[in-house]
Amino acid sequence: MEIVLEAKQLKKQYQDKLALKGLDLQLQAGEIFCLLGQNGAGKSTTINLFLGFIKPTAGAAFINGLEVATNVTKVKEYLAYIPENVMLYPNLTGLENLALFSRLAGFDYKKEELMQYLVEAGLPAEAAARRVGAYSKGMRQKVGIAIAVAKHAKVLLLDEPTSGLDPKASNEFSELLLRLSKAGTGIFMATHDIFRAKEVGTRVGIMREGELVDLLATSDLNANELEKLYLNYMH
Amino acid sequence: MRIFRILLTYEWLNFRKDRGLQLLTVLTLVAGLYGIYYGTTEVERQRNNIEALDLLTEQNVEEMKEKFPGEADAGDIGYYHSTFAVHHPDSWAGLSLGQRDVNPFYIKLRLLNLQSQLYDTENVNPLKVLAGNFDLAFVLVYLFPLLIIALSFNILSVEKEQGTLPLLLSQPVSLPLMVGAKLSFRLLLVLGLALLLSVVAMVWARVSPDARVTLWLAVVVLYCLFWFGVAFLVAALQKNSAFNAISLLGIWLLLAIVIPALLNVYVSVKQPVPQALALTIKQREVVHGGWDKPKQETLQQFFARYPQYTDTTEIKERFVWRWYYAFHQLGDMAVEDLASDYLHSLQARYDMVQQLNVLSVPVNVQGIFNAVAASDLPAHLGFLQSATDYHTSLREFYYPFLFNQVPFTHADFAVEPRHSFTASPDYGVGLNGIFKLGISVLLVYVVGLLLFRARSAT
Amino acid sequence: MVKSIAKKEFISTLRDSRFMVLSAAVLLLLLAATIVGLHSYKQQQAERELAQTTVNEQFANAADRHPHRMAHFGSFAFRPKSSISFLDFGLDSFTGASVFLEAHRQNSANFSQAQQSASLIRFGEMTVAFVLQMLLPLLIIFLCFGAFTQEKETGTLKLLLSQGVSLRQAAWAKVLGYSQVVALVVAPSLVLASILLFSAGGFEPASNALLRMLLFVVFYLAYFFIFIVLSVVVSALHQRSSTALVTLLAIWISCCIFVPKATANLGATLYTTPTKAQMDADVHEEVAKGIDGHNEQDERAEALKQELFKKYGVNSLEELPVNFDGIRMAAGEEHSSHVYQEHFDELTEVFEKQNSISVYAGLLNPYLAVRHLSMGMAGSDFEHYIHFQNKAETYRYNLAQGLNNIQATRLQYGDKTTRLSNSTWKEFEPFRYEVPGTGWALCNHVVSVVALLFWLLLVCVGGFKLIENINVV
Repeated sequence: MEIVLEAKQLKKQYQDKLALKGLDLQLQAGEIFCLLGQNGAGKSTTINLFLGFIKPTAGAAFINGLEVATNVTKVKEYLAYIPENVMLYPNLTGLENLALFSRLAGFDYKKEELMQYLVEAGLPAEAAARRVGAYSKGMRQKVGIAIAVAKHAKVLLLDEPTSGLDPKASNEFSELLLRLSKAGTGIFMATHDIFRAKEVGTRVGIMREGELVDLLATSDLNANELEKLYLNYMH
Repeated sequence: MRIFRILLTYEWLNFRKDRGLQLLTVLTLVAGLYGIYYGTTEVERQRNNIEALDLLTEQNVEEMKEKFPGEADAGDIGYYHSTFAVHHPDSWAGLSLGQRDVNPFYIKLRLLNLQSQLYDTENVNPLKVLAGNFDLAFVLVYLFPLLIIALSFNILSVEKEQGTLPLLLSQPVSLPLMVGAKLSFRLLLVLGLALLLSVVAMVWARVSPDARVTLWLAVVVLYCLFWFGVAFLVAALQKNSAFNAISLLGIWLLLAIVIPALLNVYVSVKQPVPQALALTIKQREVVHGGWDKPKQETLQQFFARYPQYTDTTEIKERFVWRWYYAFHQLGDMAVEDLASDYLHSLQARYDMVQQLNVLSVPVNVQGIFNAVAASDLPAHLGFLQSATDYHTSLREFYYPFLFNQVPFTHADFAVEPRHSFTASPDYGVGLNGIFKLGISVLLVYVVGLLLFRARSAT
Repeated sequence: MVKSIAKKEFISTLRDSRFMVLSAAVLLLLLAATIVGLHSYKQQQAERELAQTTVNEQFANAADRHPHRMAHFGSFAFRPKSSISFLDFGLDSFTGASVFLEAHRQNSANFSQAQQSASLIRFGEMTVAFVLQMLLPLLIIFLCFGAFTQEKETGTLKLLLSQGVSLRQAAWAKVLGYSQVVALVVAPSLVLASILLFSAGGFEPASNALLRMLLFVVFYLAYFFIFIVLSVVVSALHQRSSTALVTLLAIWISCCIFVPKATANLGATLYTTPTKAQMDADVHEEVAKGIDGHNEQDERAEALKQELFKKYGVNSLEELPVNFDGIRMAAGEEHSSHVYQEHFDELTEVFEKQNSISVYAGLLNPYLAVRHLSMGMAGSDFEHYIHFQNKAETYRYNLAQGLNNIQATRLQYGDKTTRLSNSTWKEFEPFRYEVPGTGWALCNHVVSVVALLFWLLLVCVGGFKLIENINVV
C-alpha cells in the first residue's frame, strides 16, 4: 500500500520544553489513525508539524512522500484539514465560504456541486445562503467538513473534529470518515474520544509527554482493553 | 472606601509593571517639557528682537543726525526716520503662543500714510506656522486627551477580555465602583502630570502671579476631567477594547480636528473679510492722486481735520513737505471707514468663534489659554489700534514743526514719542470659557452615569 | 487564488455596517471639502483677479505724470491661486496674497488668511488634502487592523493555509482587497475634483494642471498603499486585534500629529530667522555704500558721471545725450535690488534649512513626504510662494528700470516737472503670473519622492519578509 503520511524521528523543541520526542509513524492510504492523549501531550504539535505551521527541530514530516518543511505550500495540495473549532468568515454565507476555500485549493465548482457537498456534510440546504455569523458551532463544523471533502485530498488531518457536535452529527461524521477511507483517503485524527477512536480507527496511537507510548490495531482490542491502556498511560 | 483603596493600590501595582504605560507617561512628560522650553524660548526670542529694535531706532537717529548735521526740515526727518510700534509678549505668552507667530509683533512706522505701513508682515516661515506651535497649550489641548485615551480605553473591556471580570464581580464590588476606582487612579496620574507641567511652565516663564494661575489650573483640571468623562461614557457602552479605542480616538478627532476645521470654514464663509485688498488699493490711489490735485484743495480738506494749522497762504513752490504729509493724511482719512470695517470684521470673526466654541471643548480651552496669555486675534487688534494711536501721536508731534515751520533740532529726537504695548489678558473670555467647560464636564458625566444605569438595568 | 481572497476581503468589508458608516462619513467629508475648497478658491481667486485688474487699469489709465512719480505709484502683484490648490490650501492660508511694487523698496506680501483669522485656523483646515492625509490613514487602520489578528483569533488563518495559500499570498490578497475598498471611498471625490477642476478652468495651461492632478492622485495612492501594507504587516505581527489596533493608532498619532509639529519647531529652533526690521536695516546699510538714486552729491554718482562724460566725450550733464537723473536712478535701483536680492536669498536659505528637517523626516514618516508632494503639486508649497515673490520682484525691478529708462531717454537733465502723457504707461505689460511647470514643481521635492519610494520598497520587501516568518499557531 501507498504511504501517504510519515514522520521520521520528528522532534519539536519549544523554548523550555521538548514537545515532541522523536516520533516515527507511517500512515497508509485508506487507513484511519487516531492519536489519543491528554491536553499538552503533543497531539496538536504533531498536526501543526504535518501542516507546516511550525518547523521541526529535528527529523522530518512527510505528506505523500514530500518533506513538509521544504515543500510547505506544495504539500497542501495533498492534505485537507479540519480544526477543532471551525471558524469561517462571518460576513460570507456558508456557500460563499466553501466556494472561496475550494477556489483557493484549485477547484472551481459550480453552485450545484457546492450545494451537494454542503448537504452531504449535513448542512440544511436553506442554511447555505445565510451568513456564517449566524451559524451554530455544529453548522460551522459541517461547512469545515464540506471544505475538506471537496478538496479530495489524499490525507485528512483532524484536530478534535467531533468536539461540540451532538451525538447524531457525530455519528454522521463517523460514517463520512469510513466512506472517505474506503475511497482511499488516509485519515489522521487527534482526539480525546477513545470510543469513537475504536469505532472508526484502524489503528490507535497513545501519546504522552511528546512520546508515542503505544501503537495498536483497533481490530486487536475491545473497548475495555483500550480503556485500561488509556488509563494506564495517561493518569 | 476600603475597597476603593484596595483597587487603587492594585492599579498602582499594575502600572508599575506596565512598561508601555510608563513609557507613554514619560513621553508626555518629555513632550510637555519640550513644549515649555519651546514656548519660553520663542517668547524670549521675540523679547530679544523687540529689544534689538531700540538699537535700530538709535542707529537710525544717529544716521539722521549725521545726514542733517544742523537744524533740519521736519519733513525730511519724517520721511527718512523710522520708529517702531512694539507689541510686548505678556509674561504668560510662552505657555500659549496663540497667533503671536503669525501676526507681527512690531510695526516699522514713518510719518507717511499709515494704512500702507500698518499691515506689513514679519519674516515668517509659512511651513513652520502651518505646522503650528509646539507649546504647552498644544501638549495640554491635543496630547493630554490622547494620553487619557491610551490610559483608559480598556479599563472595563480588558477585564472582560482577560476573563477577570466575573471573578472581580463575585467580590463585593459594584461595576461603577470598579470603573470609578480605575479612572480615579489614572485621573490622579494625569492630573499630577498636567499640574506639574503647568507649574513648571509658570515658574520657568516667570509669569506674573495673578488670578490667572487659578484660572489656568482650574481649566487644566476641568479639561482632564472632561476627557476622563468621555472615557467613562464610552466604557459605559461596555463594548470591546477595539471598539473603545476607535470610538475614543474618533471623538478626539471630531472635537480636536474635524469640528474646528468645519467651524473655520463656516466662520470664514459667514464672516468674510474682503475689505483688505480694496483698502490697500484705494489708499494708494488717494495718496498718489494727491500729487495731481491742486495743493490748496488738498490743504483745505486737511485743515478741516486740523483746524489749528489753518493757513490760507498759497503754496508757490513745486514741493513742500507739509503739503506732502497732508495728502498722506488724506489717504488715511479716505479709507478710515474701510479700515475700521476691516478691524471690526476681524473682531466679529473672533466673537463668532467664541460663540460657536460650545461645539468643541478643545477649541474652547485653546481659546481660554490664548485669552489668558493675550496671544489671540483681539490682542493683535488691540496692538493695531495702539499702533494707530501712536502714529497719530507722531503726527501730532511733527505737525507743529511742519505747519508752524519750526526747524527740527537734534534735541527734538529725545522728545519724540516712543511706543510700547502689552496686550492685557481677557478675563471675560476666560471666565465665560470656564463656565462652558464646566457645563461640558457635567454633561459627559451625567450621560455616562445614565448609560451605565441603562446598561446594567438590561 | 490571490484574487479569490481579495474578493472575499472586499465583500466582507462591504457587508460590515460599522465600516460602511465610517467610510460614508469620510466620503461625505471628502465631497464637502471638495466643494468648500472650490468655493473658497473661487472667492479668493475672484477677489484677487478683480484687484489685479483694478490696479492694472489704474496703472494704464493713471494721470499724466513724471516717470519717477509713476515709479513710486507703482503697482500691486496679487498672487493668483493655482487651480489645483482648492484641493490643498497648503501654505496659501499662511502666506500673503498681495505685494506692493514700487521703486527703491521691496515690500512684504501682506494679508494672509491666517492673519485674518482667530487662532481657530491653527487647528487645521478642512481641505481634501487634510482628509486624504490625516483621516484616510485612520480609516485604513480601522479597515486593516484585524487583517491577520482576526483570522488568528478565529482560526481561519490555519484553514486558509491548509488550502495551500502561502502567508505572502494571503497578505498580498488582503492588500489587494483593501486597496479596492479604499479606492471605492476616494474615487468619487477625486473624480468629482477632476471634473470640477477642468470645468472651472484655471489660469494655467490645461496640460500642466492635468499632469499635476495626475501626480497628485498618484502620490496619494502610493501613500494609501503604504498605509495599507503597513497596517496589514502590523496586524500580522500581532496575536490580538486590540494590540494591533493600539500599535497602529500610536503610529498614526506620531506620524500625523506629533512629528510634523516637532520637526517644524525643531527647524525653527536650530536656524534663527532674522527679523524683517534687522534685514531692512542691513540692506539699508549696504545700499548706502552704493549709489543713492535721489542724492545728487553722492560720491559714487560722481564717478558714474565722470565715466559717462568720458564715454560720450562731453564735459557737462546738460551736454549728455541721455538724462543723467534717469541713469543715476537706474544705477541706484540696480545696486539696491542686488543687495536686497542677496538678503532675500539668504532669508530663503534660512527657511529652506528650517524646512529641510521636515523634508528629511519624510524618510521616517510618509505623512510628511506626501504632504510636501501634495502641496508641491497643488502649487501651494514654499517653493511656489518664493517663486511668486521672485517673479513679483522681477516685475517690480523691470517696471522701475523701464520708468528710469524713460526718464533717461525722454526727459532732460534736471527736469522734475514734465508730465508724460498717460499713453506712456500703456507701454508696460501688466503683471502676469504663471504657475511654473510640473517638472519644476517635482524637482523641488526629489527628497519626498525618494522618501515615498523608499517607504513603498520598505513595506513591500521588508514588510512581506516579516509576514513570511510570523507565528501562525
